Amino acid sequence: MQKGKRITRRRFIKGSIGAAAAFTIVPRHVLGGRGNTPPSETFGGALIGCGGRGNGTFGGLGPNVRKLAQCDVKFLTKADNKEIYADYRRLLERKDIDVVAIATPPGWHALISIAAMEAGKDVLCEKPMTRFIAEGRAIVEAQNRYKRIFQIGTYGRFGASGDKNRVLTHKIMASGLLKNCKGVHRKRGGLKVREWSGMVNAQPQPIPKALDWDMYCGPAPLRPYHPHRFGGSHRGYWDYEGGGLADMGQHHFDPIQWTFAKDYTSPVEIEPYTPPAHPEAVAMWGWVEMKYADGLTFVFESNEWGKPYGRKVERGVGLDDLSDQNRKKIAEMPDPEPLVRFPEAIRTRKQPGGHAEAGHRCATLLHLANAAIRTGRKLRYDPVAEQIIGDEYANRLVNQPMRAPWHL
Amino acid sequence: MAKSSKKLAELVNRMPDPDGRGLYCTDIDKEKIESAIAEIHEGGRRNILGIIDMLVPPGKGDDVKAHYALHVLGLHVCKLDDDEPRRRFAKALASQLGGDRPKAVQAYLVQELQAFGGKEVVETLGRLLTDEELCQPAAMALVAIGDRAAEHLRSALPRARGKCRLTVVQNLGVVRDAASAYALREAVGDEDQAVRIAATWALGNIGEAGSVDLLLRTADKTNGWERIQATKACLLLAEKLLASGRKNAAVRIYTHLRNTRTDPAEHYVRDAAKSALAEAG
Repeated sequence: MQKGKRITRRRFIKGSIGAAAAFTIVPRHVLGGRGNTPPSETFGGALIGCGGRGNGTFGGLGPNVRKLAQCDVKFLTKADNKEIYADYRRLLERKDIDVVAIATPPGWHALISIAAMEAGKDVLCEKPMTRFIAEGRAIVEAQNRYKRIFQIGTYGRFGASGDKNRVLTHKIMASGLLKNCKGVHRKRGGLKVREWSGMVNAQPQPIPKALDWDMYCGPAPLRPYHPHRFGGSHRGYWDYEGGGLADMGQHHFDPIQWTFAKDYTSPVEIEPYTPPAHPEAVAMWGWVEMKYADGLTFVFESNEWGKPYGRKVERGVGLDDLSDQNRKKIAEMPDPEPLVRFPEAIRTRKQPGGHAEAGHRCATLLHLANAAIRTGRKLRYDPVAEQIIGDEYANRLVNQPMRAPWHL
Repeated sequence: MAKSSKKLAELVNRMPDPDGRGLYCTDIDKEKIESAIAEIHEGGRRNILGIIDMLVPPGKGDDVKAHYALHVLGLHVCKLDDDEPRRRFAKALASQLGGDRPKAVQAYLVQELQAFGGKEVVETLGRLLTDEELCQPAAMALVAIGDRAAEHLRSALPRARGKCRLTVVQNLGVVRDAASAYALREAVGDEDQAVRIAATWALGNIGEAGSVDLLLRTADKTNGWERIQATKACLLLAEKLLASGRKNAAVRIYTHLRNTRTDPAEHYVRDAAKSALAEAG
């Protein structure tokens, strides 16, 4: 297809008489025919953050999204502001882009997701969703304000929701019939602690010509350039992410959170076993135990430092935990609706399975664990007010100030 | 004095060495670190200043252990039941700001005050808001502390230039300083686009009915990114007005956006306004 001749969803609507009618009364087969995609289901797309996971994340937008532009802070010397951008704000001004995939380092996820929704775009954002808790709430608020589709780019819950044992656990937990939950889920290892730690002795180096380093640092403090802070190993710095725990944690806990029906709440007690944290570089930690108000316990275990976690044994939740009467109630409960994937969501405007609130609550697990690691203290958390209770200094990690001009 | 300096150097030297990759991932001994920090703490202000003396700007020497030790000392004082050691720690750091220590070292001290400082250091941080090299970390520390941040930001605004002005304008919005609304309305006409956008957002976040006309005019007359941000400020202002019981002013914003955002590319704004109007009742 020729450039400039693409018919995206917006152009189609604009060119039709009665946009809403075009969506609702023209049958799909009239427009598209078998095997053809009707223009009303074709979307203009863009990728923001083109390293590592970039193209994979863009692929999650589905086959009906055409890539019209891409943006990365490392494109400073080749940006033409037509197909290649170094500043996402210029890209978001475009009216022919309906959907964006965001695969920047996580320090940018919230700001770009929110900006994209403010510009009317739907968003698929790579995990981890955010860098700190208040960013997640701001994404949820933006989604509600602009009624855009937002999906976090991790898909474990889609598999979990098709597994009958997990569906049973989900129903038991969602029913509210289990008052004193003894469930314990332990994530043992696989959190790449050593792999995604930061350098504590990095010396400043010249900034590559093609890189907009100030923009890369974005809302975080402007530090001297060092290549270890960029290009994957950024994960080892609190400025941009939260180590392997944040990087791998959302993958692991996304299906677990769905299984235990915790998409709308967070733990109330978080206790770490860790050496004192470094102020900028992510380093070693042992384990973090997190308890929900109903007693459910999640544990992050690094298996890379210190004494192993030995407090609680892994334990699921099952019908044996319920009375006969409550088991009958569970048997009568319908299964949850199938989760909607992103390509279907942008077409039908239904909420996707990994919606903003679910992604935010899962990211909150990572941020609470890291707050406990960074302070070295047991924390208490109010999952409604989304504040750490009785610890002013730990609470500063919940809503971290940003460097101007960036703000939530 | 020499003896105490030697002892402090020996305690700081008990902090871990980076491994071959420059990481803190090998031979990290929690008990050894914590017992050394507890001993440093016993030495009081003299030891805090002694560690600060060991700090150097990036690229100017090796201060890895001192850099880490100062932060762990901050963690240590925050764990104690009594708040007085934390206050003393913060005051000691603040006493080293504004002088002739390298700016990069001062920026690190300000970063530590963002984590561990309280109202005892806001005066000092406020004085840094017009310092080109320190205004950003100082503003971040001030809003993290919260206490009297608005007063200091407001006071700095007339003197702040360039990057400092942008930083102050934005953070007046972060702390929702209604007393700065007049000055922020003037800043909406600033020659610097970043300042204009920050002032517009700040007024939306402050949520005063007196900003409605200005923000709607701004959103109507601007284009591109500035229009997107001004429109966001209008919606934010409407939400704040609704939350504070100023329904009529909020409805005026939503009605205006519903009636004027007729371009298909802005239908989502029209829809957001319609939806908010329906919810407002």
